[in-house]
Amino acid sequence: MAGPAVRVTGLGKRFRLYHQRNQTLKQVLVHRGRGRYEDFWAVRDASFEVPVGATLGIIGENGSGKSTLLRCIAGILVADQGSVHVDGRLAALLEVGAGFHPEYSGRENIYLNGALLGLPRRYIRRVFDDIVGFAELDRFIDNPVKTYSSGMYVRLGFSIAVHLDPDILVVDEVLAVGDAAFQRRCMDRISQFRSEGRTLIFVSHGLESVRETCDTAIWLDGGRMREMGAVEPVLGQYVAEVNAREAIRLELETRARPPLPGGRAGVGVTGIRFIGPDGPATVFRTGDPFAVEISYESPQPLTGPRFFVGFVREDGVTVLTVPTDDSELEEAVLPARGVVRLAMPALPLLDGLFQVTVGIAEIRTEEWYTLLDRVYAFRVVTDQRPERGVALLGQRWELPELAPAPVRA
Amino acid sequence: MATNEFRASGDLAAPLRAPRTGAWARNRELLGELVRRDVQARYRGSVLGILWSLFNPLVFMVVYTVVFSHFANLHFQGKSYPAYIIAGLLAWNFFSQGLSSATSSIVSNAGLVRKVSFSWVLLTVSSVLAALVNYLISLVLLIPFFIIFHLVPGWPLLLLPVLVLVTFALVLGLGLVLAAGNVFFRDLEYLVTVVTLVWFYLTPIIYQLSLVYQHDHGTLGRTFGLLVKLNPMTWIVTAQQDVIEANQWPQHWHGLLYAVAMAAVAVAVGVGVFGRVRRRFAEEV
Repeated sequence: MAGPAVRVTGLGKRFRLYHQRNQTLKQVLVHRGRGRYEDFWAVRDASFEVPVGATLGIIGENGSGKSTLLRCIAGILVADQGSVHVDGRLAALLEVGAGFHPEYSGRENIYLNGALLGLPRRYIRRVFDDIVGFAELDRFIDNPVKTYSSGMYVRLGFSIAVHLDPDILVVDEVLAVGDAAFQRRCMDRISQFRSEGRTLIFVSHGLESVRETCDTAIWLDGGRMREMGAVEPVLGQYVAEVNAREAIRLELETRARPPLPGGRAGVGVTGIRFIGPDGPATVFRTGDPFAVEISYESPQPLTGPRFFVGFVREDGVTVLTVPTDDSELEEAVLPARGVVRLAMPALPLLDGLFQVTVGIAEIRTEEWYTLLDRVYAFRVVTDQRPERGVALLGQRWELPELAPAPVRA
Repeated sequence: MATNEFRASGDLAAPLRAPRTGAWARNRELLGELVRRDVQARYRGSVLGILWSLFNPLVFMVVYTVVFSHFANLHFQGKSYPAYIIAGLLAWNFFSQGLSSATSSIVSNAGLVRKVSFSWVLLTVSSVLAALVNYLISLVLLIPFFIIFHLVPGWPLLLLPVLVLVTFALVLGLGLVLAAGNVFFRDLEYLVTVVTLVWFYLTPIIYQLSLVYQHDHGTLGRTFGLLVKLNPMTWIVTAQQDVIEANQWPQHWHGLLYAVAMAAVAVAVGVGVFGRVRRRFAEEV
């Protein structure tokens, strides 16, 4: 095949944002027209080519036009400017259960989807068992898909898309729904897909899966292409920008925060700061010194308090909850006003946004004075380190003793 | 092809290569699937299944016969009033069912239109084709009528396929406009229901065309007469009654030609309108 699998030239897609949308004839007659609207360019001036066999990741924040671009490539939306040229059979997996008819059984939907891709019934009959097997839906295949769970929907959708032998597969953010095992199999399938020289276009918020899957990437920002090229540099620039924006956002949020609520018996937290190597900050690097500073206030000296800090990653993983040591503080009396620090010499957390819960309790009664649940957040950036995951665990590789270098004769 | 037959099983097996087909073959395949789906949908979950499509016109035929020939004392000049009604009613049902399902064909498949790229016009075409299949099945009803009322199937019946084709074209043309319009104005469906009801009475199904000529005086009579004559279905239905009930070639050739012309215009307009607005379907539907 000569030429690229997909060629996008000067693509622009405009939506009408209706202030008041008249969807019935009566409204149209009464209001004289289909309603006031303003034009909104979801994608503008996008030009690129995807060579046959390439895997392209499209990244960008919510609302940056990723899905619109994908839907234009898939031929669902018609561009208002420019053009899209696709060479080969394209299968698109957009949103959960795309192209399913809820009243029809999984079996009928497989045939319908095949027909939508232009495949003869006899071909689908031959791959039917493979589709059902991969989706693990053997027992449910004759039930209407409206009874399926979202996981089953995605499994069936993905299984159909990859088994119907497309030249170009377009996948939008759907794989996040399935369980881990299925996601793994999808990624395996996708890499097999690549090795067969097929073309893949992939939208995801999960930068890891883009990094793993794609060799090139496009960064969309506000509907325009910011960067395009090899996946690593594009991702790097994107992450840097997102972190910078995040820092500003967190900063503004912290400043705009209403005063913290007072607690029981007048004991309350008056401020929380995250301290990095250069003083207070909201974005930190893995391995840097880090501390959480809690300022508290009480009407009288604080007897037997327990301070508490918890870290929750944005995906809901509780990374650490850490109370102060009761045996140390049970008899202690702290000043009515002071600062408590939770310090880490080297921040072990890896990439992510972490929300922080802070509380003060009374050891004797086991009752909270105050508990501020996930009101503060900071971001961690793992710059050049090779580790991935939630946190460093003080790990160390131990290798066999080095053999002496071979001596050349 | 032979090389495709041998392959290992399992998830990561070498993929079976599907045939690469042209647009025409692809659309034909899809159209077949969509029609199958539409026809099946109509009878899904009903015990009597396909019998329902026969039952409905029969009931109407009986009701109209009783009401109009016995109570309203309508004078029918012909061989058999029930056969006359059923002949016109079947043609009309094809028209009205086709029109109503075509109108909702895009909106009721919003899930597909929003997420899958294909020739959406096939949805409308298939809804009309499904109505056609239904109509062809309902033609079975004619057999007992021929027997009971001693009708003789004659050469004029050969014209029936042509009439079906003209009706199909008319429904498709109007249906394309309505299907596209319904994406933007959701109440078009209800409007179509009401208009179809009026349209029914503007078509000589329960009365005869001669009656319209007899009462062609006064403002009301003239207006009614004009509307009936402008109605292309008038000429299709009368022709169908001619070839089925009266066993004669259509008596109003000029009218039939007019209907053919209207059907052609409808298709041209329908294809034009649909083609122009389809680009906004995925965002509006």
